[in-house]
Amino acid sequence: MSLSDRTALVIGAGGVGGPALLTLAAGGVGRLVVVESDVVETSNLARQPLFKEADVGARKAAAAAARLRALFPSVAIDAHDGRFDAANALDLVRAADVVVDGSDNFATKFLVNDAAMRARRPLVHAGVLRTTAQLLTIAPTGIGGCLRCLFEAPPPPGSVPSCAEAGVLGATAELAGALAGAEALRLLAGERGAYEGRLFTFEARSARGRLVLVRRRVGCPACAGTQPLESTAAAACEVSSSRPGSAA
Amino acid sequence: MALTDDRIARYARQLLVPGFGEEAQEQLGRSRVRVVGADGVASAALVTLVQSGIGKLWIEDHEDVAPADVEGWLYPPSAVGSPRAEAARAVLAPMSRFVSVEAYPTGGVPTATLVLAPSTAQAVASAEAARRAGIPHVVAEADGDGGAVISVPPGAPCYACARSTAGAGRPPQPGIAALAALAAEELVLMIAFPGTIPGRRLDLVRGVTTLRATTRLPGCVCAGATPAAV
Amino acid sequence: MSGAPPDPRPAPALRHPGAPLDIRGYACPLTYVKTRIALERLRAGEVLEVWLREGEPAESVPRSAEEDGHRVVAVEPLLAPGGGYRVLVEKGVGTGGGRWP
Repeated sequence: MSLSDRTALVIGAGGVGGPALLTLAAGGVGRLVVVESDVVETSNLARQPLFKEADVGARKAAAAAARLRALFPSVAIDAHDGRFDAANALDLVRAADVVVDGSDNFATKFLVNDAAMRARRPLVHAGVLRTTAQLLTIAPTGIGGCLRCLFEAPPPPGSVPSCAEAGVLGATAELAGALAGAEALRLLAGERGAYEGRLFTFEARSARGRLVLVRRRVGCPACAGTQPLESTAAAACEVSSSRPGSAA
Repeated sequence: MALTDDRIARYARQLLVPGFGEEAQEQLGRSRVRVVGADGVASAALVTLVQSGIGKLWIEDHEDVAPADVEGWLYPPSAVGSPRAEAARAVLAPMSRFVSVEAYPTGGVPTATLVLAPSTAQAVASAEAARRAGIPHVVAEADGDGGAVISVPPGAPCYACARSTAGAGRPPQPGIAALAALAAEELVLMIAFPGTIPGRRLDLVRGVTTLRATTRLPGCVCAGATPAAV
Repeated sequence: MSGAPPDPRPAPALRHPGAPLDIRGYACPLTYVKTRIALERLRAGEVLEVWLREGEPAESVPRSAEEDGHRVVAVEPLLAPGGGYRVLVEKGVGTGGGRWP
């Protein structure tokens, strides 16, 4: 089946977004829309496969687009150098057939969740913390819960996580992003998602995978598509959440 | 030798993982990793290994880039027809100044091996060579968008004991990058924490893993004396 | 430390083996990475002195050190050019570097 008439929206082109973009492009998706507002730093090169030494200091959106175009000239790449926020969220999500969230802060994750639910687009949420990869697919027509059903609310702004929670094994991030890309390909092909309504976590050292049911919470406003879309300013530190799955 | 500031800055996030300290990153930096098979299926593994901070990446692949290899993380269409090892090196080397990427040198002794060979015979032979030399190795078997990853630390049940025997897997699909990343991750763990990863097999089917410990088949040659560790 | 000039500060009743780690010029999370590596290189009971910038590093580095099993002995204003905070961390027992928990 050809995916050349399909569009995937990927939030973030880093540790999770990068592998997802590569996997989606390799799968023949016709158009990739990338939203990314950061600059390439040296520590990114330990796990973000779109970037190389010469990219340090460059805008990530531009560097990601250049790498993707060089490898996949037949895929249309729309790179947005900026934040995914309440102003652009609905337009971006509505223009896509599937959304992959590779963002690295909870404010954005919740916004992506709320916008995807409002626009009724399937969403693959992926994250990594230390040596654990975590994935959840939220399908608008499914019975599984969304991110708000799982977490209720983002941590209060200004709560500073410990630096140790910024730890990420690079290979685990690449695995999480590749799994997210593979799941997005499944959804685009019309298959049921492997992580639909089931949170999959994989811890690398023990090599244990777990599936946890995520049920729809009665009255969840995001699932009903009525959650107001809010952008909150990202925290100063690169790590802006103490919850699992926030690093990318 | 302590990590220099530039390596600390590069591997900062990895160095923050509890239990993963300077010594683990230095183990990676001292490693010489032989990768058997560098096609599109293997591409995500090659990228993941380079980014983890291994010392040397030795690519063993004598084929040319095929059109199917473009469905991966390394080969642009313009590389089709050129030798795979060199085409891979051209993309991988610029990704990290801390890793030396070369074609596998004849007679070179790796400290770890990753086998992503498309043919069973080659996989079995490469794994056996690593086992006899006491080198930790990981073998990946592709099956559709998943497959199996078999980890063989020194002394563990060998690949021949643990491998699939039901015939070749289905042709690989692009989602197989996850299998390659998983295989690379297993090898990274075996290099960074020698002796802590047991012999095990991970099956990846429709995005979900199942784990089992590997066990020796009766009469297998790997039941002999533990080979001397490198 | 034999051979060192007399220290005008009150001598801490703790083993204090090295020069202070001045990481006021680094951004989070590099601040904690360098702290952690320096702690790994010590023996249990030895003390690391870290100089941190005011604000986030001064809050998160001591907390991260405690989560890793070390003991924060003191956090006080740094009386050196550039200012900031001086944090003394005693390396915890059983927190050897590089060991997989």
